Amino acid sequence: MNLYKNFYVMNAMSTRAERKQKIVLPSTPFFTLGIAAGIAVIPISNALKKTDATNIQVVSPNALSMLLNDLYIVLSVSLLAILLGIVCAFYLEEWLPKTNWVRRFIESHVAVLTGIPSVLYGILAISIFLSYAGTLKVINGAPAAQDTGARPFQRHTTLFLGEGLIFILMVMPVTIKTTQEALRSVATPVREAAYALGASQWQVLTRHVVPIAFTRMLAAGCRAMARAFATAALLIGTYIWHYTAETDGMSSRFLLFLGAALFLSVCSSTLVEIHASIYNSDSA
Amino acid sequence: MENKIEISDLRVHYGDTPALNGISFDVHPNEILSIIGPAQSGKTTFLKVINRTLEFTPEATVEGSVKLDGVDIRTIGDVYGLRRRIGMVLPLPVGLPLSIYDNVAFAPRAAGLRTKSELDEIVERCLQQAALWDEVKDRLDTLGTKLSGGQQQRLTIARALSHQPEVLCLDEFSIAIDPVTTMRIEEVLKTLQKEMTILLVTNLVQQAKRLANRTAFFLNGDLIEIDTTDVIFSDNPANQATYDYVNGTFG
Ligand SMILES: Nc1ncnc2c1ncn2[C@@H]1O[C@H](COP(=O)(O)OP(=O)(O)OP(=O)(O)O)[C@@H](O)[C@H]1O
Ligand SMILES: [Mg+2]
Repeated sequence: MNLYKNFYVMNAMSTRAERKQKIVLPSTPFFTLGIAAGIAVIPISNALKKTDATNIQVVSPNALSMLLNDLYIVLSVSLLAILLGIVCAFYLEEWLPKTNWVRRFIESHVAVLTGIPSVLYGILAISIFLSYAGTLKVINGAPAAQDTGARPFQRHTTLFLGEGLIFILMVMPVTIKTTQEALRSVATPVREAAYALGASQWQVLTRHVVPIAFTRMLAAGCRAMARAFATAALLIGTYIWHYTAETDGMSSRFLLFLGAALFLSVCSSTLVEIHASIYNSDSA
Repeated sequence: MENKIEISDLRVHYGDTPALNGISFDVHPNEILSIIGPAQSGKTTFLKVINRTLEFTPEATVEGSVKLDGVDIRTIGDVYGLRRRIGMVLPLPVGLPLSIYDNVAFAPRAAGLRTKSELDEIVERCLQQAALWDEVKDRLDTLGTKLSGGQQQRLTIARALSHQPEVLCLDEFSIAIDPVTTMRIEEVLKTLQKEMTILLVTNLVQQAKRLANRTAFFLNGDLIEIDTTDVIFSDNPANQATYDYVNGTFG
């Protein structure tokens, strides 16, 4: 009874401006992400329609090279995204006040993006891949034996950018969120005690906050990487399926597919495990 | 005599909740001024105003003025320098992720001191003053957080002394310390009085009686009374509430 009363009183007391703060900013991701998705549909559907014969590249249909290739993208882009995410989290958490609209804007997007399961990102990446795959496909019928060997870094630039963007979208929000949580875990008294000793903001950050939050930030990185690897598993499976010729035989293709996906999944779950153990040892 | 600190009409609100309702008094140089009062009376808030750490509580608003040596502390541009002029000891020890040595050397280093011999000297002197030196002199490299609660509290006292403050604020410093060590530190405070002004917030009225030259009684954000400790603890302080609180018949 009392609860309801308070509820109504509070509602009545929140001003127009407060309601705006509570509802409008958190719902912006619907619009921005919706528009972004809408824009993304156009090039993808275009690419699906036409196969530009002049743009055909020979890509090694060598499974190992594809695995390396994929790992290379995942690792480099994820590391970049993790670094960017950490910088971003520091800026949001340590420099911008809680009420700052830029901070609220970014945080609401981060919340939505972290909520999207990595499988969905994987499907998005696969659909981008497939839409460009026509231009990538090994010239029809070229058997694996004729191949010149592994060329792991030779990729279609657009595909590379598209995939990179997806990995950044997937990894960065998780990093931002978990790093912010790590920074928040450093209790206010520690900061106040350091400030009371006349330390500057930079000194407080480098000497106190980062050392305390470090293990948790490491854990945050692991978790973000795990997410990236999970999606990479999906992707590599698709690549293998796509590039291995039908003549290779159904069972060997399937084995390759499974093997690669399994390998990356193991990477992913190991990282999750490392994340958990770091996290537990820190809070113990 | 010039006043060390002049507080006039100081008001603090946390959002809509008032914490200090317009208090005014002066702090004399080289005195021990104790501040007593029941919980929630605004004692900690007052100390946070003085070293401007209340600025980290976004919803807190401060009105009125606090002057240190005649200068309004809010007009002081170098807030880090201001904080070094004021030593602060909090009720519960706050462990910084540093070794014992680095804990004490932190503030001098933050101020730009780099000479090893000078740092060594400061560390030793402050740990001596905080009655901790004998217990830790052989393990200055261990983490400060590995010490016992009472030792950590003395470490925070050493830390607060390390930047040679003009004003030393202690907020219920003896909560985590055993009575014997508390007595040792009280002796130290009496000698430190020659070099600095001491603001002692305490829940132990007997501690105020033992140490303070003057005593202020806070109640619900109001300054009820400030007078020499003898008067406050006599049978007839100006206010009945003071008498009741001091004699434990309050409430
Ligand atoms: N960060 C904060 N946010 C909101 N209100 C606060 C905050 N800190 C203190 N207050 C309020 O301000 C008032 C004074 O608190 P303060 O901590 O200064 O009291 P105190 O005299 O130090 O009490 P104690 O003896 O328990 O330490 C209290 O009503 C308290 O609830
Ligand atoms: Mg207090």
